[in-house]
Amino acid sequence: MGSEVLLYLYGAVSLSMIVFNIIYNLILNEKDRRLTSVENRFVKKMEEQLERLDRGEAAEEKHFQKLVKKLSRVGNLNAFDKMLRDHLEPRASEPAVQKYMHELQNVFLQLAVVYRDRENVQAAYFAYFLAGHRQKNHMAVDTIQDIMVDYMKKDNLYCRVNALQALYEFGSPESVVEAVALQDRMGRFFHEKILTDGLLSFKGDHRRLTRLLWERLDRFSDRTKLSVLNYIRFRSGEYQEEMYAIMTDEGADKELRLSAVRYVGRYPYPPAKQALLSFAADRDPNRWEYLAVSVSALAAYPGEDVISALMGAIHSSNWYVRSNAAESLRAHGLGYEELLEVVGGQDRYAREMMMYRLDRKRLEEEDAMERAVAE
Amino acid sequence: MRDILQFFFDCVGFFFVLYMIGYASFLFLAVMVGSSTLYGAKRRNALKNELLNEYYLPVSIVVPAHNEEVTIETTIRSLLALDYKLYEIIVVDDGSTDDTSRVVQETFHLKHVNRPIQRKLQCQPAEAVFESRTHKVPITLIRKKNGGKADALNMGINAAQYPYFLCMDADSVLQKDSLEKIVRPVLEDDRVIAVGGSVRPCNGAKIRDGEVIKYRMPNQILACMQVLEYDRSFLAARIMFDKFNGSIIISGAFGLFKKSVVIDAGGYNPATVGEDMELVVKLHVFCRENQIPYRIRYATDAICWTQAPERLGDLCRQRKRWHIGLYQCMTEHRSILMNPKYGMVSFVSYLYFLIYELFSPYIEVFGVCTIILALLLEFLNWPYGVMYTCIYIVFSAVLSLTAFFARIHTIDLKLLWMDVIKAIGLCMLEVSCLRFLLAWVRMSSLIGYRKKKVSWGKIERKKINFT
Repeated sequence: MGSEVLLYLYGAVSLSMIVFNIIYNLILNEKDRRLTSVENRFVKKMEEQLERLDRGEAAEEKHFQKLVKKLSRVGNLNAFDKMLRDHLEPRASEPAVQKYMHELQNVFLQLAVVYRDRENVQAAYFAYFLAGHRQKNHMAVDTIQDIMVDYMKKDNLYCRVNALQALYEFGSPESVVEAVALQDRMGRFFHEKILTDGLLSFKGDHRRLTRLLWERLDRFSDRTKLSVLNYIRFRSGEYQEEMYAIMTDEGADKELRLSAVRYVGRYPYPPAKQALLSFAADRDPNRWEYLAVSVSALAAYPGEDVISALMGAIHSSNWYVRSNAAESLRAHGLGYEELLEVVGGQDRYAREMMMYRLDRKRLEEEDAMERAVAE
Repeated sequence: MRDILQFFFDCVGFFFVLYMIGYASFLFLAVMVGSSTLYGAKRRNALKNELLNEYYLPVSIVVPAHNEEVTIETTIRSLLALDYKLYEIIVVDDGSTDDTSRVVQETFHLKHVNRPIQRKLQCQPAEAVFESRTHKVPITLIRKKNGGKADALNMGINAAQYPYFLCMDADSVLQKDSLEKIVRPVLEDDRVIAVGGSVRPCNGAKIRDGEVIKYRMPNQILACMQVLEYDRSFLAARIMFDKFNGSIIISGAFGLFKKSVVIDAGGYNPATVGEDMELVVKLHVFCRENQIPYRIRYATDAICWTQAPERLGDLCRQRKRWHIGLYQCMTEHRSILMNPKYGMVSFVSYLYFLIYELFSPYIEVFGVCTIILALLLEFLNWPYGVMYTCIYIVFSAVLSLTAFFARIHTIDLKLLWMDVIKAIGLCMLEVSCLRFLLAWVRMSSLIGYRKKKVSWGKIERKKINFT
């Protein structure tokens, strides 16, 4: 019927695949040996240059030209990456090594241009390489950072993440803000978590970075704004007034307002107390998230009015509001006696929630005692 | 009469040629796509095209357990060894009659608390809750009345604090980087609502601190054949389904889900034994009916090690269970069949599972019966029949080996010569004998099937080699 011909064809392709995989496996087994061999060649060449530098001579221009050519192959770049980590960077305090690294900046600059035009996978690897070898005081920072911002235009998520990581490592707030703005303008998906956690890993002046980001905040999309607000919440307590303005802005995006409420919970701002109490008194079921988050934030605000609001919130029909209210009451240091109205009351849901929080407090104290005894 | 019989055998022959070509084409495509995808992924990883920094989405790990006193400690230890910061462990003891709860309580120093649990999904009530905050991450043990695995999972979801939950079996262990890797698809695309991990038989593996330090093909023939089967059927096919958002199964042994969507979709169905597949199909239905943009992904590099049955009886019981689960799921969601609203999920995934998984044992046994009948009535073209059978067996074996060799593209498995010899030796046996035996088992699984009968499967447990 001819169907067996189709099976023969499939079989032949499959057999070719097996042969390919066997050969690939053999190559893989050799890979480590080849990598070490290339790395050793790099070490030898580098040592020659270091000796020259030790003698007070200049490093050879030809050596760096050859390096650019060799490192244009991603396999060699991989070996060079290993060489830098294993042999050069541990000796970073030696004057000759410092001079050599200074000379390398031009090589990296040329490579940044070469890899910018390569396929995305290789460009991403170069950005990763650069992020891993931040050379304080050695990099021609402005130029290479401009090129890294270009990497942000690539389609590939990893390339953009690695390029941003390199910029965080360089520590220039202006370049980071420019890259964040570019990323935002391009409108490609970038998870808030990646941006927030990335900004937190920035190696430069966070105060300046937060200020620059804040200045451009209005021009960002809500998604980027949220990442920036979350970053600021983890990094700086200097934006209480601004956060308060966002929190009370009825026209602002809900997630942004909630982030601002969390901020004034983390960094108490007395003028915000009344607004928080208003949220906590709001019984509109469509606005329960404001209620739940503000009840949490009130843990940081003293006062009878706060306790009273929390005692009211613990009777909410919403599980999250009850849970947060119980946690805040616990944070205010109230014991069984002060909470008698709740723990001895008729509302079973409020009672159970409060009892659990008090149970947890007791267990934490017991655990702490056990640890102290063990030590 | 002879003409009628001739016509019948011709029709059957024609049907089987079509059937086998369809199956061969599917396997071929799956193995090719699977192999090339793994190759591409390995290259990308080697060139650091992955999210390398510490981006942590909070995850609740739900471990449903029923009479797991032998394995539960190892499972929790493997979870505590995970390279991840923001997660919690929730063990749900579903009315065990052994010492599962006691082992967890005593080993991990859990203390009783009066914790209220929100009933977002229906499940049997909790009898007691225990907690510990003295470990790297919070551990919660919930003891409840027996209600089945789906019921236990629903309880775990109710107790979960975080927006994503991970379900796993109590007889499995996770590789230390598996949580980080299963979360990555969510960070790469916020439409992702579920991610399946790669489940591998741990028979023959030695795991230390959450990392495989030694992996060989198992010594037991049955386990060894299952390794080949996993590579061919599960790994390759799931990668292919992933290409067009068509995965309709995420193994219950290792899957990550967005909690809010699962709750909105109604959670696990306690009336089915194939709750893992049912949930994924339900998510497809829910998202498409409500026009929610979604993706269901498969993370090949997120690894969970599980025990493959080493006894034939256990394997047969496991496959019977799977087949009943498949039947329940396919009938429950039959509206998907040939429904353009579901696109490739309907015309490729559902159809494949219907024809080549649910009906295949009946079709194959019918084929064998027809051959016997043709033999008795002297209609069988012997040389042609034998040739065709041989071609099929050799072709299937070659595909098994192709999938097996593709393992070199996975991150941590090396190809060893002894394993290659074992694979070559056993691939013929697997496609010619085990496959037909399992076809018979699956065919008979629905005999005496009762709709409401849901219970935990019983398979002999051994301690996993985890130190």
